[in-house]
Amino acid sequence: MKNLLDFYRTNMKTSFLGTLQYPVAQYFYMIGMMAEPVIYLVVWSTVARAQGGSVGGYTPGAFAAYYIVWTLVRNINIVFTPYGWEWLIRQGQLAALLMRPLHPIHQFISGFAAEKFFVIALWLPLAAFLSFVFKPELHPSLLQMAVFAVAIWGAYLIRTMLLWILGMIGFWTTRVSAIFELYFALELLLSGRLVPLALMPMWVQQTAAYLPFKWAFQFPIEVLVGQMPPGQLFAGLGIQLLWIVVSTALMQVVWRMGIRQFTAVGG
Amino acid sequence: MTEQASVIHVANLSKTYFVPEREAGLGAAIKSLFKRKLKEVKAVEKISFEVRAGEVVGFLGPNGAGKTTTLKMLSGLLYPTGGAGTVLGFTPSKREKDFLRQITLVMGNRNQLQWDIPALDSFELFRAIYGIPQAQFKQTRDEFIELLELKDLVKKPVRNLSLGERMKMEIVGALLHRPKVLFLDEPTIGLDVTMQKRIRTFIAEYNRRYGATVLLTSHYMADVEALCKRVVVIHHGQILHDGDLSGLVEKFSAHKTLGVTVDDGVDLSGYGEVMSKEGSRVILRVLKAETSRVAARLLAEQAVSDLTIEDAPIEDVIERVFASGAPPEPAL
Amino acid sequence: MRLIRLALLYFRVGALNELQYRVNFFVQLFQSLVALVVGLVGQALVFSHTPDLNGWTRPELLAVMGVHILMGGLINAIIQPNMQRLLGDIQEGTFDYALTKPADAQVLASIREFRVWQIVDVAMGLIVVAVAAFQLQRAISLWQAAAFLFVLLLGWAMLYSVWLMVTATAFWIIRVEQIVNLFEGIYATGRWPVSVYPDWLRSSLTFIVPVAFAVTVPAEAITGRLTLPTLLGALALAVVMLALARWVWRRGLRAYSGASA
Repeated sequence: MKNLLDFYRTNMKTSFLGTLQYPVAQYFYMIGMMAEPVIYLVVWSTVARAQGGSVGGYTPGAFAAYYIVWTLVRNINIVFTPYGWEWLIRQGQLAALLMRPLHPIHQFISGFAAEKFFVIALWLPLAAFLSFVFKPELHPSLLQMAVFAVAIWGAYLIRTMLLWILGMIGFWTTRVSAIFELYFALELLLSGRLVPLALMPMWVQQTAAYLPFKWAFQFPIEVLVGQMPPGQLFAGLGIQLLWIVVSTALMQVVWRMGIRQFTAVGG
Repeated sequence: MTEQASVIHVANLSKTYFVPEREAGLGAAIKSLFKRKLKEVKAVEKISFEVRAGEVVGFLGPNGAGKTTTLKMLSGLLYPTGGAGTVLGFTPSKREKDFLRQITLVMGNRNQLQWDIPALDSFELFRAIYGIPQAQFKQTRDEFIELLELKDLVKKPVRNLSLGERMKMEIVGALLHRPKVLFLDEPTIGLDVTMQKRIRTFIAEYNRRYGATVLLTSHYMADVEALCKRVVVIHHGQILHDGDLSGLVEKFSAHKTLGVTVDDGVDLSGYGEVMSKEGSRVILRVLKAETSRVAARLLAEQAVSDLTIEDAPIEDVIERVFASGAPPEPAL
Repeated sequence: MRLIRLALLYFRVGALNELQYRVNFFVQLFQSLVALVVGLVGQALVFSHTPDLNGWTRPELLAVMGVHILMGGLINAIIQPNMQRLLGDIQEGTFDYALTKPADAQVLASIREFRVWQIVDVAMGLIVVAVAAFQLQRAISLWQAAAFLFVLLLGWAMLYSVWLMVTATAFWIIRVEQIVNLFEGIYATGRWPVSVYPDWLRSSLTFIVPVAFAVTVPAEAITGRLTLPTLLGALALAVVMLALARWVWRRGLRAYSGASA
């Protein structure tokens, strides 16, 4: 265990230093990514104004708050892409990772986590700009901010596991892009990324409650911009923890199957 | 004197691949989504050998012979389809942590080091991954840096290093945890001659200092000649020869070369196959059995000022072994 | 013209190349359908809460989405792969091969690549537009159809010019790959009519990266909102941008050849 902590500390330092070398690329990526929530924000604010000030309980200011926090959560949500597996396998990196007495996922969890600190620093001025333009209604309590700080990491872990599992499909088939696209489409609709789930039809909301997507995206946003009582905040963290455990267990199962498949046919 | 225990024990190890056969046409493509036609490819077929601690064994063979497959099976990357292999008492495919901590696999041009940061930082990472005690780590690291003269280069980002320098760094990184067994797959591929020599020397030195067992595959005879007393020749997934390098020549070479110095312009094609002719020096190739007879004839019939009798160059031997396809008849 | 024949030749080669991979057709079709469904769901959601968006009715927005998909297909079939290859060539020095060929370098660099399966998006976009037109119960006159195609072409020319100019900056500054990320984000704004956006965004969408002209205006041709001034404005802007792109290109070439001398 001490060994693992040591590795996390070392790799996070290394990753952070590595990521500092490409601030411009990072910025362009973040700015390009802002287009999506801004579009949603503008469209829904227009709808809200047309409907007399609010729709689904969200005013333009509430939408602004939702989608601006969205940008932070979205950035924290960026983990090892399932498309990266094809690259891993083909470049022989997977073979190299398998030679180590350490589960490869640790490198990615610690590596990406370290980058997030840099990302958050870059995000602040962009958020300030967006807030200036769109005037969000945001008055979180201290408790909300504390829970948010925990919830985004819970979201990070859940999505890491889910996308790791998704990526491993590449061990069994090469026609992966179709499956990935389908997954991302579902995630878009059921996680609160396209719209706050409150605006979705009832049956969608009920379905989404049982799936992990919402807990990796909408939950942290709602923690900060919504009005959840403390009981609900902590209950939400509990459900996040549950999903972390479930997705990790599932990941281990699929990983073992995947490695057996990989070593059977070679890299 | 007790016999040294074998560190690597391989018995009837086999690896067979089932490769999907794809046909052209839309109809066949759709059919293949439901039922795949598979072709059997025997990459490695029932090979057996033992390696004792501290041995340096070279695996020689053309592309596709099965050398890399064998190495991958012994390092745990590939699951054998038949037979058994153990390394240090472990079953490699189980990939136990204690096993992985004692071995290392270096594959020619695939890198493990992080691209954007100095190699020194990557070494730090390896220390953390393998859990190397600080004192031992520092000592090993500094020792290797000095051996390969890398002091000025370790602080530069890896992407700024030349190919040879990068390879040196890769090897250092691969050995920091003082593995007992080294699997080296084409470690000097793509490097210039000087760099190849440096790396060979380093491996030999590591083997000497730490008594590590080394399995090495290579295209380059020079690698094998310099490092390995024992050579395993693999072709079409089977072992053709396992023993001394000189024994290899003995076994497979049906010829000897005669170096003859005569007067310019003399035609010696009647004595044997003329391999080269440079001024007054002619290299002839004759069947082993004929060697003494041809030599005697030459000395008797020609004005020979110098005559040498040598084994066929190893490259030739190897080339002929592989070019012939099926295992050749051992020469008398 | 020789250049047109050259272009057709490249298209044929590109198409034949990819037609080998017929499975890719089904993969592309599936992905496009998924994207279409997501888009339709998004619109359906909006219209479950409001009857119209800033004066645009549902079928009108459907037309905008259709044009967006169609134009997206055209971009991904021709503009994007060529610009990406051009960028790679400039950065790795392999652009020299294009320069030594007896054809205009700009044309060559713009038509070399052709992703035939993106045509799926073009077809899908046209179908969506047709459905929208049907829902609007408008008889599309020949004149309107012609205007539609014409403005589509103009929009495409404008987007091409912008892409070319941005890619051409690689002649001076080597590392511009990240700009591509920006482009995708900006083009995504074309999913909705430009009038939805705040003024400061609208002008940059119209003039700096002419997404408005590429998407909203052709949609207007279908929905009957197109006015003659807008059409003439589009024509003028397209001509200006093509000329500007050409000028930037020539300057870039001079810089490039000078640099590698």
